[in-house]
Amino acid sequence: MSKVFIGMAGALMALTLGAGLAMAGGDDSITARKACMKANGAGMGVMVPMIKGEKPYDAAAVKTALETMGKACSAWDTFWPDDSMTSTTQKTHASDAIWKDKAGFAAAGMAYYTAEQALSKTTDEAGFKAAFPALGAACGGCHKAFRTAME
Amino acid sequence: MARAIFQPRDLAALALIVASGLMVFGVATRPHPLSATDIPVHTANLKNGKTLYIAGGCISCHAPGPDLKDVSADVPAGGKALKTPIGTLYPPNLTPDPETGLGNWTATDFINAMQKGISPSGEHLIPAFPYTSYAHMKIGDVLDIKAYLETLPPVKNPAKPHDIVLASLMRRGLGLWKYIGFDETPWIADPAKSERWNRGSYLVNGPGHCNECHTPRTIFMTSDNSKKFLGGPHPEGKGTVPSLRSLIERGRYKDEADLVSAFQNGEELGYTRMSSGGMGDVQGNLSKLPDADVKAIAEYVTSLK
Repeated sequence: MSKVFIGMAGALMALTLGAGLAMAGGDDSITARKACMKANGAGMGVMVPMIKGEKPYDAAAVKTALETMGKACSAWDTFWPDDSMTSTTQKTHASDAIWKDKAGFAAAGMAYYTAEQALSKTTDEAGFKAAFPALGAACGGCHKAFRTAME
Repeated sequence: MARAIFQPRDLAALALIVASGLMVFGVATRPHPLSATDIPVHTANLKNGKTLYIAGGCISCHAPGPDLKDVSADVPAGGKALKTPIGTLYPPNLTPDPETGLGNWTATDFINAMQKGISPSGEHLIPAFPYTSYAHMKIGDVLDIKAYLETLPPVKNPAKPHDIVLASLMRRGLGLWKYIGFDETPWIADPAKSERWNRGSYLVNGPGHCNECHTPRTIFMTSDNSKKFLGGPHPEGKGTVPSLRSLIERGRYKDEADLVSAFQNGEELGYTRMSSGGMGDVQGNLSKLPDADVKAIAEYVTSLK
């Protein structure tokens, strides 16, 4: 009796796990990468006014912004499985170019990472202002080639 | 006995309909190029030509193909693939090479291509080349672009044939399309508006050809001018082109100066909407325009409600 129970419980667990794994496919990747982009947008919202001179340079705020962006995007390499090109439940602006040109997409990601690292190493306003455009350009470079037009 | 489906009389009527249809098709689709006497005498202004060449975004489509490794990316030698719903196009060489570029083109040839959508050999051009917008330009401005192109280094690069189905029938069919959807009226200034607004209006509606993507199309693939600048499905396939109306009211840009900054800096200053769907190339071109012209475009665009 107990053996049967353990067997049933095991089967149930396996089923639940299986379903969980299946759910962790394309749709979850889309959710995760959207959260990453959202965090990046919020981080830019902190830094851009400093670049434009609308707000004073704040080294601590820049540091926090970059850290938050980094954390939200830390699983970047897992964000783009083949089954996340399209979704029936979510809107995605990922271009099919991501999957057609994997090397180009990886290079664009690396350009962003390099620029982000360089920016995070700056400690004063002059350095921040000099390093920022490269990060923005890296965002743009990737969006240009790998994101579809959005309303 | 049941009546046969087609009586001889019916067949004759059908033949007549088909024949007259073909005649209408033949007449309606025939290209009507201008002749040399239609082209005014003009003294070229190279600076103006360069500005309008940039505003027209010519390089974005006529960029050198991947096989032209020694050609600078800003020389419009053509050959880079342009994917469209009707197939892959290879925009031709605009440099002054006499055999493979525009070196032997007359002013008439150039005006016919730019404003009538007709090639020197008398064929209709595919409107992925936005002559539908260039048609509204002042003829002198178009001649200035030609003069500017003549100053570029000649590159030998024969045009690759477009990769589209039923090319020759489609070329002729384009005559029909032009008949229903090609508005050739010249741009007209609005005397009630400022000079700068009018400059912006001209650049947007003429050389800038913003309309081609930012206005949705009808089922006949002509611009739906009842929805001018309202955005819609991206003409190249995926994604949505944003509306250009009420950009400030919708919170897209803080004010006119903010849009100027977006045009000039793009994502380098965090303007995240200036990259996708081809806008990245457009922004790159806009950033090379004189300040006054970028401001004029921003004034006009932010006035669209």
